[in-house]
Amino acid sequence: MHELSLAQALIDEVLRLSAEHGAKKVLRVDVMIGAFSGVVQDSFRFCFETLASACESTVDTALMIETPPVSYLCIGCGHAFKADKDMRVVICPSCHGGELFPQGGDELLLVRIEME
Amino acid sequence: MCEECGCANRKILHVNKAVLAANDAMAGLNRKRIEAMGAVAINLMSSPGSGKTTLLEKTIDLVGDSLKIGVIEGDIETDRDAARIRARGIPAVQLTTGGACHLDAPLVHRGLYELEVQTPCGLDIIFIENVGNLVCPASFSLGEHKRVVLLSVPEGSDKPAKYPRAFMGSQVFVITKTDLMPYFDFSLAEAEKEALRLNPRLNILCLSSVNGDGMDGWIDYLNKLVNSPARTRARVVA
Ligand SMILES: Nc1nc2c(ncn2[C@@H]2O[C@H](COP(=O)(O)OP(=O)(O)OP(=O)(O)O)[C@@H](O)[C@H]2O)c(=O)[nH]1
Ligand SMILES: [Mg+2]
Ligand SMILES: [Zn+2]
Repeated sequence: MHELSLAQALIDEVLRLSAEHGAKKVLRVDVMIGAFSGVVQDSFRFCFETLASACESTVDTALMIETPPVSYLCIGCGHAFKADKDMRVVICPSCHGGELFPQGGDELLLVRIEME
Repeated sequence: MCEECGCANRKILHVNKAVLAANDAMAGLNRKRIEAMGAVAINLMSSPGSGKTTLLEKTIDLVGDSLKIGVIEGDIETDRDAARIRARGIPAVQLTTGGACHLDAPLVHRGLYELEVQTPCGLDIIFIENVGNLVCPASFSLGEHKRVVLLSVPEGSDKPAKYPRAFMGSQVFVITKTDLMPYFDFSLAEAEKEALRLNPRLNILCLSSVNGDGMDGWIDYLNKLVNSPARTRARVVA
């Protein structure tokens, strides 16, 4: 359940930034959570909403979660490509080699805040 | 400008910053502190009972006085692991998270301070034994130089595929309890293949803290790490 610590870190930063900009309400928070970040999105959302509801400026905040596609680099032929739906690619589409280096996928970013 | 809905008052901030930026900043400070102590730090991660503390005990016995070791133990409750290390005459600090499933950089910061007080002459290696958990610790940088993930033979060779993050973020993968290979269906080939698929640069070692098989490879790795040119430079600067 490290999702609670992560959600707490996110809320802390959102509150800090909204106070800094003199906002009364946080309308929307966008985060990017990679497929290999080890974060359970439902659990993260639940923790965020629980913490957000305890604070006047974040009671109604909408949390938007984006999961970017993972990129792979083929060690055999050097082909770089993005996985679309399935994040776990096992074979290089170019040379059919199986030695693929995942690039990224571990993102855990606060992307954008909308406030008023 | 729209008066009715108040959208003129809306402000959009493009932040693009790690959610754990505060933790990462503290990890950076920890790293400086570790280097000022003359040490390299290793973050040990695994599920509960994979053999982290036992490997440390065995390592301490084997290196003797040749390396100055210090240990930071992370557990949810009790100081049993730190007591096991202290029983061997090695400085150890116990951090209890009081429920949290992982260590974070601020907690380790306190641990480093305590360890520093106990070791005025500096250290070569600081082992940070994380809370037993194969998932959560992987998200938190502590300021370590290397991450080592352990997996014991009884847990099964499918674990790298099922718990990718810990293997993707580590430099070394230690397969422990190899003395139990005859009694379990653990496939070394599967564990290695899956781990390398996630992280082709992973350095894989197999060992048993009970019968000592493979310990030479581990000790060799530690000696190389301590004597690496980058570290020697860091020491001169520090
Ligand atoms: N057969 C065998 N048993 C081992 C080996 N290493 C550790 N054990 C046993 O595994 C059990 C757990 O070992 P620990 O070293 O306490 O495991 P740990 O990873 O530190 O556990 P936590 O700190 O609770 O997460 C103990 O009973 C050890 O004696 C090994 O190489 N072979
Ligand atoms: Mg232990
Ligand atoms: Zn290829």
